[in-house]
Amino acid sequence: MFSFELFINALVAGLLLGGFYAAFSLGLSLSFGLLDVVNIAHPAFIIFGSYLTFYVNENFGVDPILAGLLFAVPFYFLGVAVYRIYYNVFEKTGAESLRGLVFFFGIFFLIEVLLIITFGVDYRLVRAPYIGKTFHIGSLGVAWRLFVPFLVGTALTIGLYQFLSKTFFGKAVMGVAQDSLAVRLMGADPIRIKTIAFGIGIATATLAGSLLIIIGPVEPAIGREYIGRVFAITVLGGLGSMSGVFLAALIIGVAESFTASFIGPSWALAVSFGILLICLAVRPAGLFGR
Amino acid sequence: MANRIVVKNLEAGYGSVQVLHGVSVEVNDGETVVLLGTNGNGKSTLIKCIMGILPHTGGELYLEIDGERVDLAGKAPEEIVNLGVALVPEGRRLFPMLTVEENLLLGAYRPDARKDIDRNLAFCFEAFPILEERKHQLAGSMSGGEQQMLAVARALMSAPRILLVDEPSVGLAPIFVSRVIQKIQELKEKYNLTVLMAEQNFNQAVKIADRGYIIVHGQIEFEGKDTDELRENEMVKKFYLGV
Ligand SMILES: Nc1ncnc2c1ncn2[C@@H]1O[C@H](COP(=O)(O)OP(=O)(O)O)[C@@H](O)[C@H]1O
Ligand SMILES: [Mg+2]
Repeated sequence: MFSFELFINALVAGLLLGGFYAAFSLGLSLSFGLLDVVNIAHPAFIIFGSYLTFYVNENFGVDPILAGLLFAVPFYFLGVAVYRIYYNVFEKTGAESLRGLVFFFGIFFLIEVLLIITFGVDYRLVRAPYIGKTFHIGSLGVAWRLFVPFLVGTALTIGLYQFLSKTFFGKAVMGVAQDSLAVRLMGADPIRIKTIAFGIGIATATLAGSLLIIIGPVEPAIGREYIGRVFAITVLGGLGSMSGVFLAALIIGVAESFTASFIGPSWALAVSFGILLICLAVRPAGLFGR
Repeated sequence: MANRIVVKNLEAGYGSVQVLHGVSVEVNDGETVVLLGTNGNGKSTLIKCIMGILPHTGGELYLEIDGERVDLAGKAPEEIVNLGVALVPEGRRLFPMLTVEENLLLGAYRPDARKDIDRNLAFCFEAFPILEERKHQLAGSMSGGEQQMLAVARALMSAPRILLVDEPSVGLAPIFVSRVIQKIQELKEKYNLTVLMAEQNFNQAVKIADRGYIIVHGQIEFEGKDTDELRENEMVKKFYLGV
């Protein structure tokens, strides 16, 4: 039955979920949208981040968000290493399209298998004072486990947006896939720019991973559920637009939340893709693409 | 202090195909020198060598920056840009999906250019008012003439001492060619640049050139000490003036 209260609850839950989806998708938009690196392993890096967060939370009681921030540093270097390999083996020789895709698929399954071997297939979760608590605005109940990821996702969007649009380095990141020789003519080394930018994209994955495991329990193969959704959000937002990704994530979050509340949860992903297809038919550059 | 380009007996090519056969060109401090040649004679190849985009296989290639000799062999394009050399490349090579303003700001990427960014941006907008009007427009959506102006302005944003321009007239209506050429001259005087310009539009090029070379099949066939000498040359008469 439709009720106004249910409507508002679904709307708010959808927006909050959307903020988290943004955090999930930003790193991919950076690599796929701006660097032309189809990193389909991005969700796997995120699950990896979830498990590292789980590990330090479980054993040392570290706050999950703090854990995400701390692991961002080694993840940055992991991203740098992955891009170096990708560049030397595929991009440099011009073999990136299909073989590069296989490379990232390989990383995806490698991470998944390593997580299964190390942690098993059971669901894992983290503890923090705010998880499980709810605050109320009138009759509306807002769960902290959704609100915190929304806030962090928003902050991450603003941070990346500022970084890309306000710094010289960020502008070079935006230009590097359009014309890498032109970037050199501006006095910048395109390989260095792509390496650092890819590292930053992977660094965001640990934070997204922390958010994922704050929202709910995580198991090693959960990334598969997200692949379709993050690509839908990234494309819908307009490749490489951080603000576009954020808005697209909110739209998908709300659409899924409404679908789950009023039609049935199993329809949620189909609706995301429905929106994506309609959008691409009308506006191929994505809703907020240039 | 003097900024010069010195090219001596340069040899270069693509794979096994040699394109430049012992090319010698000098551009002295504050000069505008034109490299004349019809399509496929090696103008862009020479420019690519100077910019470090293409390695040379023989001869000598160096710059004098503030009187100091800098050998260019083995240097990457970004290193050469950071010496204070800017290129307006063949085909313009703008960032089509970035705005006019973003293109200009990227032009000032090199550390030496960043401190003067406000002054240079103001100057570019003064020289090309259309760029200020269109500053939020995507570069790829502008007309060819506007894009060429943007390419010149973007090169100037890097606060160069040496400016290389590869065929600024290509694909432009005559009115735009005159304007772009005129602006290159104004900017050159304002910033005291040393300019090497590849062109096949003789009449436009001599408007601003002090002197020039004619390149044919990768060899310098003629060196004109001033524009009159170029004008009197038989090859120029035949190929460029239609006499
Ligand atoms: N990337 C390339 N690979 C192979 N050959 C090239 C390449 N670029 C130019 N050439 C050849 O080198 C010669 C000189 O070309 P170019 O320097 O571009 O001439 P111009 O700029 O005077 O029109 C031409 O014969 C051309 O076909
Ligand atoms: Mg050419």
